[in-house]
Amino acid sequence: MVTIKNLHKYYGDLEVLKGIDMEVLEGEVVCMIGSSGSGKSTLLRCINFLEKKNEGEIWIDGKQVFNKGKDINEIRQKVSMVFQRFNLFPHMTAVQNVMEGPLTVLDADKEETKKQALELLEKVGLADKADEYPAMLSGGQQQRVAIARTLAMSPKVVLFDEPTSALDPETVGEVLTVMKDLAKEGMTMIVVTHEMSFAKEVSDRVIFLNEGVIAEQGTPEEIFGNPKHERLKAFLGQLAF
Amino acid sequence: MLLDFFSVVIEYAPRFIPGVIMTLQLSVLSILLGTVFGFFATMLKMSKIKPLTKATDIYITIVRGTPLLLQLFFIFYALPDLGINIGRFTSAVLGLAFHNGAYISEIFRGAIESIDYGQKEAARSLGMTSWQAMKRVILPQAFKRSVPALGNQFIIAVKDSSLASVITITEIIMLTRQYSAATFNAWPMYFIAGCYYLIITTSLSKALLMLEKRLKVNER
Repeated sequence: MVTIKNLHKYYGDLEVLKGIDMEVLEGEVVCMIGSSGSGKSTLLRCINFLEKKNEGEIWIDGKQVFNKGKDINEIRQKVSMVFQRFNLFPHMTAVQNVMEGPLTVLDADKEETKKQALELLEKVGLADKADEYPAMLSGGQQQRVAIARTLAMSPKVVLFDEPTSALDPETVGEVLTVMKDLAKEGMTMIVVTHEMSFAKEVSDRVIFLNEGVIAEQGTPEEIFGNPKHERLKAFLGQLAF
Repeated sequence: MLLDFFSVVIEYAPRFIPGVIMTLQLSVLSILLGTVFGFFATMLKMSKIKPLTKATDIYITIVRGTPLLLQLFFIFYALPDLGINIGRFTSAVLGLAFHNGAYISEIFRGAIESIDYGQKEAARSLGMTSWQAMKRVILPQAFKRSVPALGNQFIIAVKDSSLASVITITEIIMLTRQYSAATFNAWPMYFIAGCYYLIITTSLSKALLMLEKRLKVNER
């Protein structure tokens, strides 16, 4: 579904990604972990083309995507992103937020889109908040609306950029529950997270990034049960969960 | 003495009405047209196309760096010499709008740039084009944010319209001067003029405050 070959990314002289090779299969849930500055968010943003790669190839759904051109808007319909800070549109209600993508980008039928949007809000447990503006919702509720907004585009891959880092501890659970349900339905997901218990429980594969390279990857059992890389051992030791 | 003053004020106040109407026409047209100029200037400036952004910079530099009085004289004298005869009123409206547009474009640009970058990213990540993101997500929020500063600029525009008197437009100030000269009794006339300006500007700021409140309902 997503194939990355020899990806390099620089900010000025600083090389943030130093040749990433990875492949994510259809229906796979991949968690990316690592300390801050390891390049995991940058990698995720490169897959959504919010950051432009400097070198390497990105293949999505069997098609190579280049930095420029119309391709990117089309790819973004297939590869959606959930942000750390939700980024809901504050001038629209919850249901309008969810409808915005299909209406503007796909020029979809309004009635049908509304029906679909309400179903999605139902799915994330917020049917009763459809007409509320984001300012009236808690962080966890906002993030769930943001997930519904992403799903409205019927993406093939959903990218999560630390989706629970900006949340109060008591609302983290409700967002993770929605994500777990999504994983069970077979959605392809790439998740940058600090929630190790989530990574352990839900992911098919865990990737540990360190200083811009994939230092180690494997099943959750391998990564958490039997880490090999020194930095990974130190990283997991610090967390002590 | 005081009785004298009030009888002059009462006698002359209604005679200012044509001037008030002219001031209102100048203000409304220069505000509307200025907002359009301002909007286009902002879009050009943000287009990231070098010649366009440069042209906008020059426009803003000229307007901000020279007196409005000079700009009005310039349009009034220069255009006919270039073979463009658009009349005094149109010259005045264009001059004022040109001036307001530069300031309004800076207000719009500031408001657009104040919108969190995550908004644009969220819109683009749904597959929107740059223009769709601007139209659907950025501009509606930026417009709300620019209302207080716009209101300020609109009030300045009303007061600046008084400068149109120098290119022989018969608005409030022009009438004031005429009545002063005719009666040798200047200060009641300026008093009347001041009252009319206050009525216009306070009504305008009340209206804008109401608009601001209505727009704010749904947000923090």
